[in-house]
Amino acid sequence: MVSAGLSLAVAVCLMAWLSASAAFAGSAPGSLAEVAAAVQPKVVKIFGAGGYRGLEHYQSGFLISPDGDVLTVWSYVLDTDSIQVVLHDGRALAARVVGVDPRLEVALLKIEAQGLDHFDLDAAERASVGARVLAFSNLYGVATGDEPASVQHGVVSAVTRLEARRGVFETPYRGPVYVLDAITNNPGAAGGALTDRRGRLLGMLGKELRNAQTNTWLNYAVPVDVLREVLPQLREGRVVQRDVPPAISPENALNPELLGLILVPDVLERTPPFIDVVLSDSPAARAGLLPDDLVLFVNDRLVQSCKALRAELERVDRLDIVRLTVIRGQQLIEVELAAGDPTP
Amino acid sequence: MIFLAAHVWDTTPFVPQSPSPSVRPVLQPPERRPRFRAAAVAIDSLWRPAAPLTSRPPAMAVLAAALLAWLSTGTRLARPQSDLELLEEQAIQAAAEHVAPAVVSIETVGGLERLGQVLLSSGPTTGLIVSPEGYIVSSAFGFASKPASILAILADGTRLPARLVATDHNRMLVLLKVETDQPLATVQPVPEEEMQVGQWAIALGRTYEGGQPNVSVGIVSATQRIWGKAVQTDAKVSPANYGGPLVDIRGRVLGVLVPLSPMHSGQMAGVEWYDSGIGFAVPLVQVLQVLPRLQQGQDLYPGVMGISLSTERLHSSPAVIAACVPNSPAYKAGLRPGDRIIEVDGRPIERQVQLLNEVHRRYAGDVLSLAVQRGEQRLEFQVELVREIPPYQRPFLGILPRREADGASSGVTVRYVYPDSPAAAADIQPADRLVLLEGKPLTNAEDLALRLSSFEVGSRLRLAVERGHEVRQLELVLAAEPENIPPELPPARDALPLPPERPARGPLPLKIPEFQQECLLYVPESYDPRFRYGLAVWLHGPGGFQEEALLARWQRACADHDLILVAPRALDPNQWGRADLEFIRKVLDEVRSRYSIDPLRVAAHGYQTGGAMAYVLAFNLRDLIRGVAAVDAPLPLPPPENDPLQRLTVLLTTARASTYARQIDAAISALRARKYSVTVLDQGDQARYLSDDEFSQLLRWLDSLDRI
Repeated sequence: MVSAGLSLAVAVCLMAWLSASAAFAGSAPGSLAEVAAAVQPKVVKIFGAGGYRGLEHYQSGFLISPDGDVLTVWSYVLDTDSIQVVLHDGRALAARVVGVDPRLEVALLKIEAQGLDHFDLDAAERASVGARVLAFSNLYGVATGDEPASVQHGVVSAVTRLEARRGVFETPYRGPVYVLDAITNNPGAAGGALTDRRGRLLGMLGKELRNAQTNTWLNYAVPVDVLREVLPQLREGRVVQRDVPPAISPENALNPELLGLILVPDVLERTPPFIDVVLSDSPAARAGLLPDDLVLFVNDRLVQSCKALRAELERVDRLDIVRLTVIRGQQLIEVELAAGDPTP
Repeated sequence: MIFLAAHVWDTTPFVPQSPSPSVRPVLQPPERRPRFRAAAVAIDSLWRPAAPLTSRPPAMAVLAAALLAWLSTGTRLARPQSDLELLEEQAIQAAAEHVAPAVVSIETVGGLERLGQVLLSSGPTTGLIVSPEGYIVSSAFGFASKPASILAILADGTRLPARLVATDHNRMLVLLKVETDQPLATVQPVPEEEMQVGQWAIALGRTYEGGQPNVSVGIVSATQRIWGKAVQTDAKVSPANYGGPLVDIRGRVLGVLVPLSPMHSGQMAGVEWYDSGIGFAVPLVQVLQVLPRLQQGQDLYPGVMGISLSTERLHSSPAVIAACVPNSPAYKAGLRPGDRIIEVDGRPIERQVQLLNEVHRRYAGDVLSLAVQRGEQRLEFQVELVREIPPYQRPFLGILPRREADGASSGVTVRYVYPDSPAAAADIQPADRLVLLEGKPLTNAEDLALRLSSFEVGSRLRLAVERGHEVRQLELVLAAEPENIPPELPPARDALPLPPERPARGPLPLKIPEFQQECLLYVPESYDPRFRYGLAVWLHGPGGFQEEALLARWQRACADHDLILVAPRALDPNQWGRADLEFIRKVLDEVRSRYSIDPLRVAAHGYQTGGAMAYVLAFNLRDLIRGVAAVDAPLPLPPPENDPLQRLTVLLTTARASTYARQIDAAISALRARKYSVTVLDQGDQARYLSDDEFSQLLRWLDSLDRI
């Protein structure tokens, strides 16, 4: 009996010690709790237009100055005269849109307040693939009033560019992104903050986005560098316009026939772009292309069908040199040619 | 199945939108992130691993061991957790970097746009180099489109044309080959016995632009999944990394990521589970095992041995062979119904599921060493699995058995002999009694039917037949089932004085709790529970049915042919749906529990949409339905394999001007290709419900479903 009682007492002590140590670990310097507590005041909940037909009326944002500059995504939620920004302490302040970049899909808001905790864009970090990250957002609008934003945990899955494949992603933004190994692609999460393990800003959570090629949803964030670049213009209250490369007019656009190529009949949705005929004494013939060659790349862009090949050539001025990569048997062959080649 | 909503990939993708609940503690990292190697050394010098390490281990092994030692001792308090977090992160990154050179991106050109209703991806997919000479394994998912050309892009950006060498249709993998002068980077596999639930699992793909593979981090969730063919992970597995490796913390490869489904097979099976917390990888060691065969250009297929097990309790019943098709490898090897399989390749088999595991993980062409228990004997057999067994065709003796009260008899008394049948050729006559089959006593007609299922058309058979007091020994050659209906049939049984106690008879409404549908049941007034009755399930056409008209047609028929009629009403009178299928199953269970039903004479009969439903019912309730009589109805789904134990016979009508004329012709071909017996009633020009003469043919067909 005595020994049983004793071991019970030991067990109780052990448990007490373990739970004490767990509690200690939870509030240790640099712990998640501490990092989250430090980040939360910089994250805001934004309410605006929407709230019907499946369109949420909320999104996330974060502070980038002590006097009320809020960075968030540009969306229909901001398309109203009454935007409300709710701070971590529950203060609800009216916000106005200072500037927007419709292509990057970011907006700068301003609220009237002073001495706010904020991220310093200039001190921001970069993360590599596999790095652990935290995502702070008001996904699904679960946080209201002084409730803190939700924290998600994951790693950087890829550091890549959205422009890699035209038409793959249904977004006007084409640029560098962090692809995240965490399900951040949720209503209301866009505009939230992505930080590293120490709570240093890495980027802004992007809008819901689907990969049109694999039909999978993409969880991503726009890196700070990109945001920092447009900030001055946003601050000046300008709608950021970008230089769009002038489209090539149809009469100047290249096509296979101008190169002396006749493709196989385009009968399928994805007819492989095999060369059927090479016209004699044409640029294609001079470059050494042969019937049955399969065109794989146009200027290093993969073309997976006859349609894609035509579309890609239309982006090239007929006076410019175009680089084609074809596969012949099991061999890759690269050639350069131009429609305007003067006959030798 | 017809009622399963087709999964349309492009419009209704599975969208995981659940917020991640896992939040790990993150602590202050050191001021400057140390180089990985330095960190490992530092740990090694600070904390000695608990177990002495044998040979000089690679840095990562030291780190992993150190981490484990650290976790298992009480040093958590002594050091800030940040070190652990940081070291884990670095170990994960190092593991990914270690394997990255063997992870390639694969682009395809041309090919199908969609497979069925599924829109195929044309995006890049991932591959894993498995030999320095340039063999690359990928998921069959990326090749469902049968592309015209394949291009592998190595880690350093080199583009190489690739050719498809072979496909593994069991594990849904493809083997590709690129030509290269330089030996390519390969990887080290994790032995299956080392895989443990809870260990780190890092999923790699190479589908985004950029130098490094995309990573997703999780753990091993289970091993030995999908009949032992896969390891399961909670790392995110999707088209972004199908074909890529699942890597352990030491940078060794657990498996190749593939979409798999325990329920379905095919290139697209399991894709709907992408990023859902459930993902699969085929263990690399299994891939390497079949690599030589794939390298020879040999496509691999799942294998079958051609036995049926009693399907009752997969996880608790012993593996006793219920039927064994004569043209199957199992039968040819010498296995017979009743044998209990007790060992495969020296491993004991106690339950059916263990046997299924052994078979499903192998391929056609593999040879199994089986040990079986037959009576007191232990016998051993070698069985070579085959890709498919030629369709089974039911053999036919040529008789209808007399039906005995309470099944009380020994032997089978002949009711009717089919002209031009093997029985007729052997001069078997009505009232003869079949007493021995292959020297063993026959108990009743069911016994005879079951034992015949182990013979094939053309087999020789020895029978002992009793006529009066004389017993004749006969040898006959079994034929195929006839497709015509006997012109007239003698009575199937004696009429006995009716017992005083009998269950409810006449038209009866039947309700099943929890179902809204209604059902009419008709039991003939003359119902005698000592005999077994046929069960006709009437499935109405568009618009439902009138009770009076239906009864007027069936009342007399039920009495004359020992039939019970059930007529369920569809939830929507104009069409049948999945909810009706469940309802009808419950109705049949209920009727079978109340009345004496002959399991060989349960048939589904319907007109137009009801006829289509009759097929659906028969293919879904194979253990119950023995006949389909479909009037002017298309076949809504492909017929399953003909099964020796689950006999099924079809009667259908054709009419030149029928809306379904072409579909019905296709149905006849599809059914006959699977060796079902199909009786065709030609209605001439216009399709309609059965005439009186056709209806009496239907009744004789129903009355002869117990033919042997």
